[in-house]
Amino acid sequence: MEWDFTPALNNIDILLLGLVNTLKITGLSLCFGIPLGLLMALSRLSEFRPLSMLAAFIIEFFRTTPPLVQLFWFFFAFPILFNVNMTPFTTAIVTFSIQSSAFFAEIFRSGIQSIDRGQWEGARAIGMTRNQSLRRIILPQAVKRMIPAFMERSIELLKTTTLVSTIAYTDLMYQANDIAQKTFRPLEVYTVVALIYFVLIFCFSQLSIVIERRMARSGEGTVH
Amino acid sequence: MEYNWDFATIFLNWRVYWFGLQGTLLMFAVTVTLGMFGGLIIGVLRYLKHPLAAWPARTFVEIFRNTPVLVQIIWFYYAFPILTGIETSPFLAAALGITLNTMAFSAEIYRAGIQSIDKGQWEAGKAIGMNFRQTLWRIIMPVALKRVLPALTNRGIEVFKMSTLASVVAYVETLNQAKLIADLNYNPIESYTAVALIFFVVLFPIVQATYALERVLKRGDE
Repeated sequence: MEWDFTPALNNIDILLLGLVNTLKITGLSLCFGIPLGLLMALSRLSEFRPLSMLAAFIIEFFRTTPPLVQLFWFFFAFPILFNVNMTPFTTAIVTFSIQSSAFFAEIFRSGIQSIDRGQWEGARAIGMTRNQSLRRIILPQAVKRMIPAFMERSIELLKTTTLVSTIAYTDLMYQANDIAQKTFRPLEVYTVVALIYFVLIFCFSQLSIVIERRMARSGEGTVH
Repeated sequence: MEYNWDFATIFLNWRVYWFGLQGTLLMFAVTVTLGMFGGLIIGVLRYLKHPLAAWPARTFVEIFRNTPVLVQIIWFYYAFPILTGIETSPFLAAALGITLNTMAFSAEIYRAGIQSIDKGQWEAGKAIGMNFRQTLWRIIMPVALKRVLPALTNRGIEVFKMSTLASVVAYVETLNQAKLIADLNYNPIESYTAVALIFFVVLFPIVQATYALERVLKRGDE
């Protein structure tokens, strides 16, 4: 067995194109997933029982079903059910936005609940409504505590996006399969791709560790 | 909408799903057992001060935590046999990937648990004449394990969901069987909804039990 990295390195531009698509899916899913997560968390914390129960059900459903099953459902079942066209790209964005929003909702919820009751009472005492106190007093403090958990979840999302290769979206994993088949060099190609993922994710995790340490030093609490 | 609802096929083919679920359960049982036991060893190694123990353990953890588990499974299926000459079946490739991934994640959980124990406990162990190993297993570990139990059950739930990735290398598990039914009978809505429901029904009670466990442990700490 001899290692030969030339086929993998000759196709590095194709791999990097896949990497761009991986980052695109991750970024867009975060853009939709985080606000949706906030919405679901607020619904779950709502005093209107049917709304909070519905939100709780949706959150639990998307947390307890495997992302690959969700992806297949949105790709194969959803288009027939609602008579719409789903490209691999839109399927990926829809699935991962909703899937990650369920996890973000729980982070938002524990963040909001970690804020002392006195803050709510203080806001009320100066005449703020529930909405105003949430927006101006509670969320700014809560979001700060949630940053490490947010980063951890975003890294998980980045790793989960590899699943889109199974519905033929050209992310890094898909390009790797493609090149490995064409060049008959799966060992080198998959090793290079694993390395690319490693460097990317390792940098993000180190960054989140640094941020968490800094916050711990400044006496800022965090939630998970 | 011209879609013929066909739930009957799902019920008539319950054996196909059951066969798949058995595959899922087997994959889960093997990977969760080996992963969490192996993780315990790696976690303790990471805690040791000796560089020859700590550094390999740290490298292992970083590699498997910072690469997607699908990449690991595919690597063990297509690349590992070329490197070692050992043929990996779909089961072996998926089990290797998921087990090593679980080892890395649970190692960090165990380590956090050990580190959360007060230094005084170590000193107390030493004071009554216990050596490092005795203190670790008799005094530190029982308390640490209790503390990390919720984190471990959460990881277990993740491992159960991860087993679906084995379908990518054509291991016969629930999702794979659902795809088979959907392709043969042209009923993707029913088939994929069924598999989602199966996972929900299996995992939902476990998730609720975890929440209850967390509350009980929290109350016990106070």
